[in-house]
Amino acid sequence: MNAPQSVNIVMIEDDEGHARLIEKNIRRAGIMNPIRHFTDGTTALDYIFNDTTGPQLNGPALVLLDLNLPDMSGTDILAKIKTSDGPVKRTPVVVLTTTDDSREIQRCYDLGANVYITKPVNYESFAQAIRQLGLFLSVIQVPDLGDARG
Amino acid sequence: MAQLPDAAPTNRSLARRMTALMALGFIALLLVGYAAVRVMQRNELHTGLVEHTYQVERAVLNVRRLVEESEAARRGTMLIPGRDVTRANFFRARAQVPVALARIDALTRDNPAQRRYLQGLRLQLGSLLARQDRTLALLGQGDQRGAIVAYGDDAEVRDVVTIRNVLDRMALVERRLMTHRDAELRASQRAFYTLIVLGGVVLAVVAVISTLTILSYTRDLARSDEALRQLNAGLEDMVSARTEDLTRANEEIQRFAYIVSHDLRSPLVNVMGFTAELETAAASLRALVARVDAEAPAVASEEARLAATEDLPEAIGFIRTSTQKMDRLINAILQLSRQGRRALTPEKIDVAALIGQIGGTLSHRLAETETELTVDGVLPGVVSDRLALDQIFSNLMENAVKYLRPGVPGRITVTGRRGRDRVFYTIRDNGRGIDPRDHQRVFDLFRRSGAQDRPGEGIGLATVRALVFRLGGSIDVASELGQGAAFTVSLPLVLAKQELNQ
Repeated sequence: MNAPQSVNIVMIEDDEGHARLIEKNIRRAGIMNPIRHFTDGTTALDYIFNDTTGPQLNGPALVLLDLNLPDMSGTDILAKIKTSDGPVKRTPVVVLTTTDDSREIQRCYDLGANVYITKPVNYESFAQAIRQLGLFLSVIQVPDLGDARG
Repeated sequence: MAQLPDAAPTNRSLARRMTALMALGFIALLLVGYAAVRVMQRNELHTGLVEHTYQVERAVLNVRRLVEESEAARRGTMLIPGRDVTRANFFRARAQVPVALARIDALTRDNPAQRRYLQGLRLQLGSLLARQDRTLALLGQGDQRGAIVAYGDDAEVRDVVTIRNVLDRMALVERRLMTHRDAELRASQRAFYTLIVLGGVVLAVVAVISTLTILSYTRDLARSDEALRQLNAGLEDMVSARTEDLTRANEEIQRFAYIVSHDLRSPLVNVMGFTAELETAAASLRALVARVDAEAPAVASEEARLAATEDLPEAIGFIRTSTQKMDRLINAILQLSRQGRRALTPEKIDVAALIGQIGGTLSHRLAETETELTVDGVLPGVVSDRLALDQIFSNLMENAVKYLRPGVPGRITVTGRRGRDRVFYTIRDNGRGIDPRDHQRVFDLFRRSGAQDRPGEGIGLATVRALVFRLGGSIDVASELGQGAAFTVSLPLVLAKQELNQ
């Protein structure tokens, strides 16, 4: 993530523990980008589309999305992001969830998810997966949303 | 739901009605037939009587002719006495008269009126014949004149006229008799026609009533048939609705198991993750305690030292094993739920080959335990789901190897037989066996039997039973402690193709 403007990581994850573990392991992988954590879909969507520091109004971002949320399905959030008009639709979305149902995975990719990762239950594998995700995040290029807006 | 019409009483009353109608029809027919026979008899009788009348008439005419002939011959003889032909004619006619009379007598024996006339006729004829004799006697004496005078006297007596009258009357009596009989015959024929018409009317009425009855009965039958059909259709609908309910309930359970196991995983990730974090933290704590012990032993209390070196690692160890076990259990539920959701694809399976294959994958453990795997006889083939069948037999055979008696070489025998539309496979071992009290329990999820000295979560047989049920089969175990166990799987010969299972 060597973009001139700092890329925000938006994490939508209802389980505080998971969020903390994910954050810890991403940091361990050496990713120091700011992480905004939301535990429900409504406030997360509000941040993404309406907040002045959110991706729609303020530059590039990357979304880490859990599918099992209390107020709405993660696939709904994914659909809203990918079918929106603004620059947000080019925001990479990494689905990170416990569900390994093949139909669900297929549906997420159909909706435009960029990566789908199943959370391993075994902690070692989990930590490793997140660290690898961190490595992955450190090399991927995020579109410059400012240019897209202009 | 449609009500079924009360059919039985209708049937009985219909039978009664139809029997009565048929009886009526037969009676009408019998009457007509009887009348016909009677009329035929009467006709025959009448014909006989007419013939009789004609005979009487003929006999009467015959007498008359003979009388006239004899009279003509008498006159001829009187005119030309020497003519022999005329004399001969006279005697021939005279000779025939008694015969003709006898004929009338014979014919009219039953008629008193005719008999009276006949009596008179005989008297008159007697007198006439006497006069004729006298004439001939006079002529024989050559007294032609005397004969003619006598004849003239005879004319005064008018025997011949009387005879003619009597004969006419006799003919008339016969005529009248015939007219009377004709009238009688006509009357009986009229009666016969009336009877025929009557019988015909009765038959027609019977026919109409029976037709109407049968029509109404047929209508009733059609109605009840329709009702029955509707009832049947309703029943089918009901069955399919129930089946749908059951399928839905089953799907609900599958979904429930799936969701629960997934949602159980989430907190487990936390427990395991933070346990790992704790472990890391405990490691640095231990390092700190070690350093404190080395540099300033007075600072660290005994409690802190114990907590860092013993209590924390022990607690973490227990948390780890428990969460790992829980992870395995959740995975087991998830696996069962997945198997319930998987669509089955029936195909023809060579079970003997399948058993051989499984034996191959187990060969290492078979050799280790000196176990001999044999297939006894011919295993029947089956049309079923290959993966499910593989899992069933694998689990059963793995169990057989797993629960052998220590020190006793294992023997696993697979046998099979084919029923009418089912196949049965039995996997028998000589292992430790299962207490009969636990025969049902071993098929329950997370339940095991006997000494808990082998790894496992109590999932295998639960999976086997779930799979067997899904294939439309059943599974039984026969076993005694220490006597080995025999698991018998019964499957439908052909697994019905299923609609895509959601």
